[in-house]
Amino acid sequence: MSEVADPLSAVLDTLIPPSTDGRLPGAGELGLAAALRERTAELGALIDQGLAAADAAAAERGADRFAALPAEQRVSVLREVESRQPAFLPSLLFELYAAYYRDPRVLTGLGLEARPPHPQGYALEPGDLGALERVRARGRLYREV
Amino acid sequence: MARESVDVLIVGAGAAGAALAWSLAETRMRIVCLEQGGWMDPSRYPTTRPDWEIQSFGEFGLSPNGRGRREDYPVNDEDSPIKISNFNAVGGGTILYAAHFPRLHPSDFRVHSLDGVGDDWPLDYDTLAPYYDQNAEMMGVAGLAGDPAYPPKRPTLPPVPLGRLGETLAKGFDALGWHWWPSDSAIATREHAGRAPCINLGPCITGCAQGAKGSTDVTYWPAAVRAGVELRTHCRVREVTLGANGLVDGAIYIDAEGREQRQRAEIVVIACNGVGTPRLLLNSASRQFPDGLANRSGLVGRNLMFHPYAMVTGYFPERLEGYKGPMGCSLICQEFYETDRSRGFVRGYSFEMLRGMGPVSTALQAWSGGRLPWGPTHHEAYEALWDRSAGMVAICEDLPEEHNRVTLDPRLEDADGIPAPKIHYQLSENSQSMLDHAVARGKQVLEAAGAKETLAVAPLPPAGWHLMGTARMGTDPQRSVVNEWGRSHDVKNLFIVDGSVFVTSGGVNPTNTIQALALYVADRIKRNLATLFD
Repeated sequence: MSEVADPLSAVLDTLIPPSTDGRLPGAGELGLAAALRERTAELGALIDQGLAAADAAAAERGADRFAALPAEQRVSVLREVESRQPAFLPSLLFELYAAYYRDPRVLTGLGLEARPPHPQGYALEPGDLGALERVRARGRLYREV
Repeated sequence: MARESVDVLIVGAGAAGAALAWSLAETRMRIVCLEQGGWMDPSRYPTTRPDWEIQSFGEFGLSPNGRGRREDYPVNDEDSPIKISNFNAVGGGTILYAAHFPRLHPSDFRVHSLDGVGDDWPLDYDTLAPYYDQNAEMMGVAGLAGDPAYPPKRPTLPPVPLGRLGETLAKGFDALGWHWWPSDSAIATREHAGRAPCINLGPCITGCAQGAKGSTDVTYWPAAVRAGVELRTHCRVREVTLGANGLVDGAIYIDAEGREQRQRAEIVVIACNGVGTPRLLLNSASRQFPDGLANRSGLVGRNLMFHPYAMVTGYFPERLEGYKGPMGCSLICQEFYETDRSRGFVRGYSFEMLRGMGPVSTALQAWSGGRLPWGPTHHEAYEALWDRSAGMVAICEDLPEEHNRVTLDPRLEDADGIPAPKIHYQLSENSQSMLDHAVARGKQVLEAAGAKETLAVAPLPPAGWHLMGTARMGTDPQRSVVNEWGRSHDVKNLFIVDGSVFVTSGGVNPTNTIQALALYVADRIKRNLATLFD
């Protein structure tokens, strides 16, 4: 099954859609579905149950599956699933945020270099220490013993 | 298996054990240190990996109960609102600490005389000052001379850069006329003693891949090992043993292969931190010491002090570049450090500024706090948070209370079957008042700096990283466990050199003082070798 066809991708795109300014991709575009399913067996099972519930709620709205719903209906369906299966979204969102916000395309969209901190590190300005003259001028602040 | 006897056996290779080992090495005595963890590999620290942020939730987390490392021992901290944070490796807690390196104030050694609380220390600031200086050279302390909150002291390295975030916060302190100063930090801001300079990676608390942070695996230990100290890793001490003459004669430990070993020694020094040290003493009970080794006072494990932390976070309209730079170290405020009874409490606290967070931490923290929705408004909410937060913590002085203590858990054991510690701790009324004051003042200064919104958490649950008081020093054997130079009142060849010996906690990070005390104790041992057991 390709990433595009994975029904979880439609859920991910609903949870984190593309940004309106086009800087940030939707989570479904990033190919995260397979990795999230495989993160833990418990999460994999919760995803299966959540998707089944989403498809069932979609069917009640006349669609044959969640991914066939228009975007605004997907949100209301996931809200319904959220209340019916309270463990599903919290478990998924923790792993999704951890994966989405380290994806190179997202980091670039946030204005960051897509790399870990080491070994390049970052340049940082020393800052203006001139204001410390006022602090110095107060004289001794520690207590005499 | 029994090994050849050594002159000095040190248990624990963290901040204090390292400093003492290095200092004693010049005596050419045969010195062995047993450490339950191993050497860390900085090239594998999280900041070298794309998933660096999420590592702080797992293998590099603060709690020994959640890391899943065999080197750790579990701690039952269910009966404490503040949970234990530590690390077991060569370097101990300095592997994960933020490298804040303030000294205690002169008043901290005289709290009973000045404020009628706690007890005075059996030594004073001036006695420790030369050892603070020596420690600054070895650990490499960045800072700025001239801080009026302290007697004159001279850092060895230039201060950590303030960056945009630090400058923003400094404006808040200036607007209110409060004290602030660049933090003393054990961070090599330029090359120092073979250590590469800091390159502002950010999360010092998952280990420094650059080697710029002063953890003792890159400071004292290489020098101590070169000088002849033998450091045995993955060796967990089960018990310090007592000889027929009333002196300790060594220790029994489990080695890296799981075999029980015995190491005999003329002197034993325990340096296992404020929880690990009382645990070992209580696990070393004998016929002569049925309540735990060196515990005739009944005070081993008692008077446990943390520093209750208040964390206040501000959200600013502009980006702060807060993900750059040593996360814990930019500036310190000691406006509320010394006692002013009109505030409703005795003693005081320091504010220390925190940098911001990386993208994953920003999302997870906001989401867990109910501030980051999923769905169509997700990006708008995230944009308002990302790189726009700056935090600060208040480190509140905790006063000694005997009911706050470390005992042995009746059921919990480590991987080698050794009984694990249990924490009993209640926040005092004085500490709660101090936290309340700190939250109000923290919000005030963040707003003065331009924050549009502030949030506070107090006490901060995972902040049990400063572990003090559980084998306190003093001149009265009825009211203390060790004397004024770290020697047990009950057993004259047994020494303790970690946060356990603190009489009171002060309102600053304790590592610098722990190490200065270890250097002081080592010096006293060296000077008194001929009459050490008298």
